[in-house]
Amino acid sequence: MTAPVQPHYPHPSADDPRIMLDAQIGQYEQVPPYPPRTEREAEFYTLGDGEMFLNMGPQHPSTHGVLRVVLKINGEKVVDLDPVLGYLHRGVEKLCENSDYHHIISQIDPLEYVSSLFMEWAPVMAFEKLMDVQVPRRAEYIRVLTGELLRIASHALFQGWMALDLGGLTPILYSFIERDEIVEMLAAVTGQRMLFNYFRIGGVNGDLNHEFMSRLGDWMSRAAVQHEANIGLLNENEIFVRRMRDIGRVDRDTALRMGVTGPNIRAAGIPFDVRRAHPYSVYPELEFNVPVRGSNGGGDSLDRYLLRLDEVRESIRIIDQCLHEMPDGPVMARLPRLMRPRPGRAWAAVESPRGLFGTYVISDGTDQPFRFRIHDPSFVHLQLVGMLMKDNLIADTMAVMASLDPVMGGIDK
Amino acid sequence: MTAITRSLGNVSTVGKVVIPLLVLILVVGPLVTVLLATVIGPWVVGVANSNLGILRFVVAITGILLFSIPAAFIIIYMELKVIAYMNLRVGPNRVLPAGAAHSVIAGLKVLTKEDFSPTSADKTVFTWAPVMVFLTAVMTFMVIPFGPGLVGAPLNIGLLYLFAVGGMTVVGLLLAGWSSFNKYSLLGGLRSAAQVVSYEIPLTLSVVGLILLAGTLSIDSIARQQAGWVWDWFVFRQPLGALIFFIAGVAEANRTPFDLTEADSEIVAGFATEYSGMRFGFLFFAEYVNVFIMSALIVTMFFGAWNAPVDINAVLGFFHLAPFWVYLQPGELGLGLLLVIAVAPLLVTLALSAPVYLLRDSMPAWKALVVGFILFNLLVIGALGLAAYIDWDWVAGLVWFMLKAFIFVFVFVWMRGTFPRVRIDQLMGFAWKWLLPAALLNLFITAFAIVILKSAGIH
Repeated sequence: MTAPVQPHYPHPSADDPRIMLDAQIGQYEQVPPYPPRTEREAEFYTLGDGEMFLNMGPQHPSTHGVLRVVLKINGEKVVDLDPVLGYLHRGVEKLCENSDYHHIISQIDPLEYVSSLFMEWAPVMAFEKLMDVQVPRRAEYIRVLTGELLRIASHALFQGWMALDLGGLTPILYSFIERDEIVEMLAAVTGQRMLFNYFRIGGVNGDLNHEFMSRLGDWMSRAAVQHEANIGLLNENEIFVRRMRDIGRVDRDTALRMGVTGPNIRAAGIPFDVRRAHPYSVYPELEFNVPVRGSNGGGDSLDRYLLRLDEVRESIRIIDQCLHEMPDGPVMARLPRLMRPRPGRAWAAVESPRGLFGTYVISDGTDQPFRFRIHDPSFVHLQLVGMLMKDNLIADTMAVMASLDPVMGGIDK
Repeated sequence: MTAITRSLGNVSTVGKVVIPLLVLILVVGPLVTVLLATVIGPWVVGVANSNLGILRFVVAITGILLFSIPAAFIIIYMELKVIAYMNLRVGPNRVLPAGAAHSVIAGLKVLTKEDFSPTSADKTVFTWAPVMVFLTAVMTFMVIPFGPGLVGAPLNIGLLYLFAVGGMTVVGLLLAGWSSFNKYSLLGGLRSAAQVVSYEIPLTLSVVGLILLAGTLSIDSIARQQAGWVWDWFVFRQPLGALIFFIAGVAEANRTPFDLTEADSEIVAGFATEYSGMRFGFLFFAEYVNVFIMSALIVTMFFGAWNAPVDINAVLGFFHLAPFWVYLQPGELGLGLLLVIAVAPLLVTLALSAPVYLLRDSMPAWKALVVGFILFNLLVIGALGLAAYIDWDWVAGLVWFMLKAFIFVFVFVWMRGTFPRVRIDQLMGFAWKWLLPAALLNLFITAFAIVILKSAGIH
């Protein structure tokens, strides 16, 4: 951080801002309308020969929410880019610090709105550590079962959006059929379709009911076959494969250095899965593989896409085991209404469909956390785009961004 | 006078308009008729006779303009509905049964919208670019034969005209993209320029083999040479050329998987980003008119144009039969014809309503009669259609041409529902590295084959 650099762009018109003179049109392109605050900003917002800015977002068909990306392009080639965040900023961490421990679950829910059970899972686990709560085994199994269902839904949605960003119209609707079925069965047990607010400190809100089980049985009878049928449309499509291959390659060192987690790091060839690396819940008792893709050179967009499909298969296995091994018993530990944990700190992380989602909580002995911090995988992964998209084409920015699968709710927090 | 005024006072408001109009028509009508018959009529006929070429052109261009909009409506509706079923959706289902008028209503909606243009846009170019895009699309229709003799301008250099005019579309798209003062539009316009110009070359070269075979540039003549059986169609003599023509045609029409000019996930809507109202409507219609033109061209060049896949005369000749309509000579019936015209409708209506009445207990007699009457009318329409099909070869040609063209439109729509989009470098690489050499190869093979066959004395 050095002293502010002089702005290269005067105000469009000193007299009347509505009138733009021809000479000023070129200067007007130089967003943003304030002096550059860092050297990097000054460098980025200075145009070279034949370059121009292309402002993508915050309302753009393929930015997965309200991400704004300023692309510096030379023809079709992306020279440089600058993601601009904050259009969805709610101050969730601060909101959580001003809510009591139960309310935090509903505050944190909309972060990654396509996989909100995982957003509940991490803080709930952290609070349970803080309060030394023993969760009933049935509740743990229900958490794993619903979580894995939602992982499938999230990956199905990923697959559809991936195709849509590459111009395929149909897969998104097939994906939504799968996702809708899962979301409906979760709604039967939680009462909500998207922001479930289901997990509680010490268990879950309610036991599995008949409607959920019958829907689940129905769906499980065809899930694996349906999955293979749905992916055929894309995986065997030469155009799709060629658009994805060798685009946005993340090598292992970069992945480790940037703190990439989840499917994105496994697609780069590193078998890091929180469920196995730092086991939680009943995952140690369940049998599943950690799928890994990518060669020594790391993983490209196609690897990241295919790895998520592998994960769906593993999730179906886990659900199957959960259904067979789920014990009877209570789904909620007996706890007081108002909880004042001892002063202390706790960290808990879960493997969300996007990677390691962690929460860090410091208690000062009151019924509200003193500090509450969220580690969101999408935020980490979004930092890769500057590295991956340089010297690619505009169309590739979509392929790369979609393959990283960021969700803006979690990034802007 | 007072009597007339008083009686007019008793008449309702509507009557006050209608009665004077009636009087006017009764008085002026005969006058005009007489005038038409004696003075204007002969003059018009004289002018028309001496300017038949211009008259033909005016009729053709009117017919084409009248045809192109409904064709676009049908294709838009088809795209909505077909892709909906491929997506396991229902699609439009509000206006008319199965949403049949959806695209028409959408077209009307486009007309009512604000005609907006950006502050810094080049207003003149911005206004006229969509017109240019649409007009070039419609102008291409002029040389496409919809049936024997059903062609706007039977040019003997039809193919040349076609590629010349078809290539002009890109100018309109480029102007639209440039004048919008929008970076997405600019990128879309430039992409379309690169794409259409690149694919123009394999598109043209793929037909050169066909031209060698046919020995003519006249589209009408090419169509006539494909008469006969299915295997007389040029697709079986030029399979590679047909494939290249189809692929390049998809790219020329800016359709998936080559719809980079309006790639919605990349450059929002390409050159159409800033357009609204009927200007957008023109761009939108032009796209679908282009789809129809490409299908029509593929059918005309390679899939037998208006010819039926079966040579009906050959079939009849094989069985030593004359065409059965030779036996139908209504004139020979004499007075019987009058009897048929007077009595047949009644008898057939009764005959058709009888089973309806007898089979359905709850059916009242009048309803059964209405059903019978409707069925009879359908029968008559069908019979007339059949007679027209048999008697006038342009009707038969039109039916086959439309059928085949819409099969290809369906393929276009099908591709839209299935494929993702290619990247710009893949697009260009495909045109220059694969299609162009393949087209040249096709040309050489065709030329060699013709030379060898000619030297061997076979034609």
